[in-house]
Amino acid sequence: MKFLMIDIMQWFLIVCAFFCILRLITGRTAADKLTGLNVLSGVVLAFLVLRGVRHGTALFLDVALVYDILGFLGFLAIAHFLKDNFSGEVEKEEMKR
Amino acid sequence: MIVILRNVIALIAFSAAIIFGTAGIFGLFRFPDPYSKLQAGSLCGTTAVFSIFIGSLALAPTWAMAGRIIIICFFFLISSPTGAHIVARFAWQSNIAPWKPSARHHRKGKNNKNKQDDLQ
Repeated sequence: MKFLMIDIMQWFLIVCAFFCILRLITGRTAADKLTGLNVLSGVVLAFLVLRGVRHGTALFLDVALVYDILGFLGFLAIAHFLKDNFSGEVEKEEMKR
Repeated sequence: MIVILRNVIALIAFSAAIIFGTAGIFGLFRFPDPYSKLQAGSLCGTTAVFSIFIGSLALAPTWAMAGRIIIICFFFLISSPTGAHIVARFAWQSNIAPWKPSARHHRKGKNNKNKQDDLQ
């Protein structure tokens, strides 16, 4: 019962992650893609926790904790980089006009 | 007895996670502008993932793993809304207009082929 539930949830999270990656690839604007990335980060975190409980190893949970912190920092860096890029382009276009 | 109780708690939490996760993924594809997509994504990210954390907390075999899951819960409660706020601020600063229901959308219902024209 316990392992069956965890296995079903793992497959459900794999399907969710697939759709998030689809959103990440097919999104039109950068904000759409960042939304998909935001959801994907949480889905992968939940998958790591379920994997750790399924196999009874605490190593997966340590990896999940570090993934949460580093993924958040990477997300911050990506958003900052894209924002600078965007504002730079806007300033250039305004200067051309 | 305790085992059955833990299984029932986990079953309820995982059922809630499946419902919220499906709704969030649907919203991620169906909503018109990045702000409402972000709302659906935060629904999926926070409620579904948090329900999974509660379910795995009920099923955790040792106290060490339960403590780690609680710490992950606290970090997730801090990092997920902050990430959503960063995306929303990025979308606002890159001049993406929020979606408004136009007169044509109200009249014809699903005929929103010229959605980009209506925005402007």
